[in-house]
Amino acid sequence: MAYPKSHNPFADDDDEEDFKPKSRGFDDDPNDSGMSDAERRQRYLQQEVMRTAQSAVDSSYRSLSLIHESEKMGVETAEELMRQGEVLKRTDKMLDNMDQDLKTSQKHITSIKSVWGGLVNYFKGKPETKPPPEQPNSYEASDRLQSALSNSRGHEDRYQASHPNLRKLDTGGFGASASLDDSSSSQNGYPKNKHLKEAHQTLDNNLDDMCSGLSRLKSLGLGLQSEIDSQDDSIDALLNKADKMDLKIHNTNQQIKNLK
Amino acid sequence: MFEFKNIFNAFVIGVKAQRSLLYESCLTKCVLSYRSSSKLEEACDIYVRAANMFKMAKNWSAGNAFSQAALLHLQMQSKHDAATNFIDAGNAFKKADPHEAINCLNRAIEIYTDMGRFTIAAKHHISIAEIYETELVDIDKAIAHYEQAADYYKGEESTSSANKCLLKVATYAAQLEQYPKAIEIYEQVGTHAMDSTLLKYSAKDHFFKAALCHFCVDMLNAKLAVQKYEEMFPAFSDSRECKLVKKLLDACEEQNVDAYTDSVKEFDTISRLDQWLTTMLLRIKKTIQDEESDLR
Repeated sequence: MAYPKSHNPFADDDDEEDFKPKSRGFDDDPNDSGMSDAERRQRYLQQEVMRTAQSAVDSSYRSLSLIHESEKMGVETAEELMRQGEVLKRTDKMLDNMDQDLKTSQKHITSIKSVWGGLVNYFKGKPETKPPPEQPNSYEASDRLQSALSNSRGHEDRYQASHPNLRKLDTGGFGASASLDDSSSSQNGYPKNKHLKEAHQTLDNNLDDMCSGLSRLKSLGLGLQSEIDSQDDSIDALLNKADKMDLKIHNTNQQIKNLK
Repeated sequence: MFEFKNIFNAFVIGVKAQRSLLYESCLTKCVLSYRSSSKLEEACDIYVRAANMFKMAKNWSAGNAFSQAALLHLQMQSKHDAATNFIDAGNAFKKADPHEAINCLNRAIEIYTDMGRFTIAAKHHISIAEIYETELVDIDKAIAHYEQAADYYKGEESTSSANKCLLKVATYAAQLEQYPKAIEIYEQVGTHAMDSTLLKYSAKDHFFKAALCHFCVDMLNAKLAVQKYEEMFPAFSDSRECKLVKKLLDACEEQNVDAYTDSVKEFDTISRLDQWLTTMLLRIKKTIQDEESDLR
């Protein structure tokens, strides 16, 4: 990147904040073309600098939009995950109900099969109708993560204040400026040239936005990960239950067929 | 005799399906029907098989076969099977005749609500609403079905699914200029979202949309609303959407259409505006332009 170069002495040597080279070259130069080699080169370098800065700004806009797009997709994924979590919970409840029903039907079958079975049932007593377990009705993602997130946010602010690169130092990334005259450092390391200054300022703003966007993406990603992990566990449990249920249903069917 | 008629009808359909296998099985079934007692079940079976063959041949009168099977099931008092067959009929009709599809789906929903299976009824309300959205473009009926689905989901404590339906209702309501309804839904969903770890990232979108709806009604409403949302949900003030709304409010106060257009364009460079947002923003812009021309 041309950043150190953007702080080239050429831009600072100009007293006026204008792009156009001064016409003072006429006095000093023996050249007839009206523009000395040095000034031509100066103009060329200024244009190069401007072009590079502009492309940097454009690229930062593109990155910002990409970050926002990822955030949008992450948000949609999160909503879908929540919905899925609810469905899984409901499936779990249904499987429990099915289990209850199968137990009742098993009892009926044993009493039908034989008198002895009926007696056994009588002694076994009523199957205790298991009360539905107390569960919070609304589905909440893990709140351990929530507290971790709020903590990390507090830490993050302190981290940003202490980390040298993230602080808005006067010399910033433009280390070369420190060696130049005082006036440049008083402008926070921005080049004096007005257009360049604007470009750099926009760039800085965009970089700040990108930073906050990335941190949001990170916490979103962490939240998604913990949600997926807990859903993985519940899917495994459901799989087990469903397999057992399948076996029971098969057995019950067999028994009924044999009754005929 | 009646049962034989059923078998015979199934036989005819089987022939139309032009599958020799079914032809033979229909024949045997006809013969069996005189001896077997489960005539209705057999007939149902044959209808379903014929319908599947139609589906394989991509002939969408499979829907008819499925409906017949469902009616027979209803006669046999097996509601579950009847409902399943109605759903199959609905799916088959989707490709041919949307009205018939909606009829079948409605009948299935009746059966399910009778049995108390509201979740699955809600799911099919959504299917019907989608048909109204795409094939029959009748937005009012689509909204009605989405609302019904959301109510059923709420009854079954599936808030996320309910919210998904409600958001669709709100989008269409805002497009049809029923702003109070849309505002209420967006605020409700936004408040619910901001409490959850995962959903809070979407809360700012909902508040943004609610603020735009307020704006379409009246500028002062929008200002008060934005303040209210910022108090409720501090993260909203950092979002680009909130900054955009504030800029638009300022442009509207100064009656400056250019500033309005500029801030919208700036927002668009970073995140593309979708169809709905563009419509709403254009409406607001028109109100500014009208006011401007009134003053002149």
